[in-house]
Amino acid sequence: MIEDAVRLIPADDSSWRIEAYLRRGGYEAARKAVTFMAPQDVIAEVRRAGLRGRGGAGFPAGLKWSFVPQGGTAPKYLCVNADEGEPGTFKDRAILVRNPHALIEGLIIAAFGVGIHQAFIYVRGEYASIAGRLEEALAEARAKGFLGRGIFGSAFGLEVVVHFGAGAYICGEETALLESVEGRRGQPRLKPPFPAIVGLFRSPTVINNVETLANVPLIIGRGADWFAARGIPKDGGTRIFGVSGAVRRPGLYELPVGTPLRTIIEEHAGGPPDGVAIKAVVPGGLSAPVLKPAELDVPMDFDSLARAGSMLGSAGIIVIGDRTPILDVLEVTARFYAHESCGQCTPCRLGTSWIHKIVSRIAEGKGRPADLELILDLAVGMKGRTLCPMGDAAAMPVHAIVSKFREELERTVIP
Amino acid sequence: MSDVKMRGLTIDGRTVRAAEGTSVLKAAELAGIAIPHFCYHPAFEAEGNCRMCLVEIEGLPKLDLACSTIVREGMIVRTSTPSVLRARRDVLEFLLAEHPLDCPICDKAGECKLQEYYDRHGLFPGRFVEAKEKRDKKVAIGKGLVLDRERCILCTRCVRFLRKVTGTGELGVFERGVRAEIGIYDGVPVDNNYSGNLVDICPVGAITDTDFRFKTRAWFLRKGPTVCSHCSRGCAVIVESVTGYPLGEGQRKVFRIKAGENASVNGTWMCDLGRAGRRDIDERRLVRVMSNAAPEEELSWQKALADVTAMIRAVPGPERSAKIAVVLNSRLTCEELALAKKVFTDGLSLGKIFFADPKPGAADGLLLTEERMPNARGVLQSGFAQLLPDLDTLMAAEVLLVFGSHLLEHFSEEAVFRALAGIRSKFLFSAHASPLDRSAKIVFPVAVPAEKSGTYINIDGLRQSFGRAVEPPLGVTSELEILGCLASGLGLNRGEPDAC
Repeated sequence: MIEDAVRLIPADDSSWRIEAYLRRGGYEAARKAVTFMAPQDVIAEVRRAGLRGRGGAGFPAGLKWSFVPQGGTAPKYLCVNADEGEPGTFKDRAILVRNPHALIEGLIIAAFGVGIHQAFIYVRGEYASIAGRLEEALAEARAKGFLGRGIFGSAFGLEVVVHFGAGAYICGEETALLESVEGRRGQPRLKPPFPAIVGLFRSPTVINNVETLANVPLIIGRGADWFAARGIPKDGGTRIFGVSGAVRRPGLYELPVGTPLRTIIEEHAGGPPDGVAIKAVVPGGLSAPVLKPAELDVPMDFDSLARAGSMLGSAGIIVIGDRTPILDVLEVTARFYAHESCGQCTPCRLGTSWIHKIVSRIAEGKGRPADLELILDLAVGMKGRTLCPMGDAAAMPVHAIVSKFREELERTVIP
Repeated sequence: MSDVKMRGLTIDGRTVRAAEGTSVLKAAELAGIAIPHFCYHPAFEAEGNCRMCLVEIEGLPKLDLACSTIVREGMIVRTSTPSVLRARRDVLEFLLAEHPLDCPICDKAGECKLQEYYDRHGLFPGRFVEAKEKRDKKVAIGKGLVLDRERCILCTRCVRFLRKVTGTGELGVFERGVRAEIGIYDGVPVDNNYSGNLVDICPVGAITDTDFRFKTRAWFLRKGPTVCSHCSRGCAVIVESVTGYPLGEGQRKVFRIKAGENASVNGTWMCDLGRAGRRDIDERRLVRVMSNAAPEEELSWQKALADVTAMIRAVPGPERSAKIAVVLNSRLTCEELALAKKVFTDGLSLGKIFFADPKPGAADGLLLTEERMPNARGVLQSGFAQLLPDLDTLMAAEVLLVFGSHLLEHFSEEAVFRALAGIRSKFLFSAHASPLDRSAKIVFPVAVPAEKSGTYINIDGLRQSFGRAVEPPLGVTSELEILGCLASGLGLNRGEPDAC
């Protein structure tokens, strides 16, 4: 486990106040960056730390920042993606509740590094009830002079606006998020151009996940080397692993990147309850293809999971016990993506719905022998062919469930 | 053009050169390689939602969109590899899964992209056995347009047209996923002068026009390109008509007018006023020469025109300038105007040559102009002055030739009748029946512009020649032929009807 001073999620519930954060050494990193560092050195430090995006795609954060064109007087924006919608994922929520100042400090540093003076925090609508702390924390930071004009007595200024979503999974996709902030229907944009060049209000925009930014003060405060050493090469730091499902101690576990999946489940989350065996594990949010019990020794980092045919994604681990029919898992998965497809592009709109209709029919006991092959075929028809990554996010788990649990499903389909 | 940078690339083994900034789809089209697509439209930015134009681009891990990918030097594109064909087939299968397949009663059948592509890239047996979504099939969205949500493939061309071309934005996408649908906002209907274009750009039968719905089948239509005559923009249009089968023998009907393509005038759009012009071609038409003294009697063209020439000849040469008046109009072609000039000005030395045209309307800032006649520039170039007659001047004439019925737009029927009452020889040459018919001694039925070939000069001075888009009704002829007959009847040198 991680020592308290550098925990992203402090154990103490009162830790979210600015006084508590300052006692932990809070805002020293931001002060250091803004008053002592050159913006490009901030970016270089984050690049060297190997911080990869915690939202799911794992794109190196510093590299993303470096894509934003420098110079010029045109506005640039920073959007914080707090639209935590991936099923099995609840880590950003904990940061917003327990450690909102880590996010705010991280976004001050990021904005300073990239030369941004206006930030938006896009919070999923379902988190409106817990976002009061974020708003209060922002007010605290403003009162201390950490936000607004002339931060830390420098010439650097930053304004932050909190914007609420309205319950659409797709708005977690970065360009759909931008559309939503602009007040339009939340659906993804065609890329290129990428947001770093043409983003919010057609201006260069950085979009980072909550956990990604909350890590930034640690990098600037303690150095890239310290941060990198806590993870593995090219994938530095810790991850907040959210474990849910068939385990004794579901919850959030902040552990070094690269901790084996089996260790997280068995040692930290206490393994499955008595009399239950693990049937399958979703390692990184629902979109990540399931792993079978024999595949659980994989280190939890982006590249290792990609090699294992799945993905680290948002590091939301869903443990499925042997008492859960795999058809139920398939049905829930298919229903979720059919419900959340924005409907903009053909393969996702019709593929998710068709798959859900087939799975529902199977669940009603009206399966046909050709159904499973058809589902696999439809998943192939979606994967890599859609306008945004949601097509893959929907196709991959369905394909993995059907291909890895074919025997069990066949017994269900043809009773 | 010389400073446009060209890019060389290879598409399906063919070397293609395309200007910098061109999409792969467009570059392929220029090279004669058609890449199927639904949502892409050359007038809009690429949207990339239909996923039909996916192609293989060497060096990329996945298929990419031809509509939004810009050509690069040395790019190698393949448009018919197994993975591309599979992707197309899959998109078609997805679209057809929830499609109602009601082609037998769909107006778009025969010119539907979904049909066309299934024929060329699909031809698979259906695997969808689930219940299809039930959606509204006849939503009135305004201006006589009907939206069928079951047929809609959500390409959003209609939404984008209203946002980007008219700027009126009446349509939007509502709901999401498989329940996503096109609709109007809070019952506020589509209401602009370009609504008919929504039918033109809908790649399937989702938006149809009550004016055309269930009237005929696309494959019966004969398409005649021409230049629109309803304002001075001169948009390229296509007149679509049926002659004979499945109508009765000898029958002819114009079913619709669609926008043609002319990059320098109208792009691919036209206004609803021009579209409604289909009625002008078919309705209220005069089809036989008629003498008001004996309206029931058959009167031949020769005999009637001989009467005109006789009346003109009866006026002694020196008195013609004062005693013969002619009212022309600006829907006449340059060729007709040139001949009118030869006959009336050069040959007969007439002084009283006037014009009566439709009154101007409001321009809409897009295509429709204030002038509601197609050839005002042609009139000026022919050496005429576009002068409206005053009724006292007309009253003084002994012989009056009136082309068109637009006098009634400028003067009351009563005033016109009073002015014309004393004129012995009044001849009306008109395409459409009007109250003016009763005031004339003889009424001659003439062709509408779509039934003519000729030249118009548009508001920007662009000369546009056009051919006959549709055959005139039997017994109807153009002013050009009538003027030619008058010229020879009067022994005037007709000369070549050279254009103005």
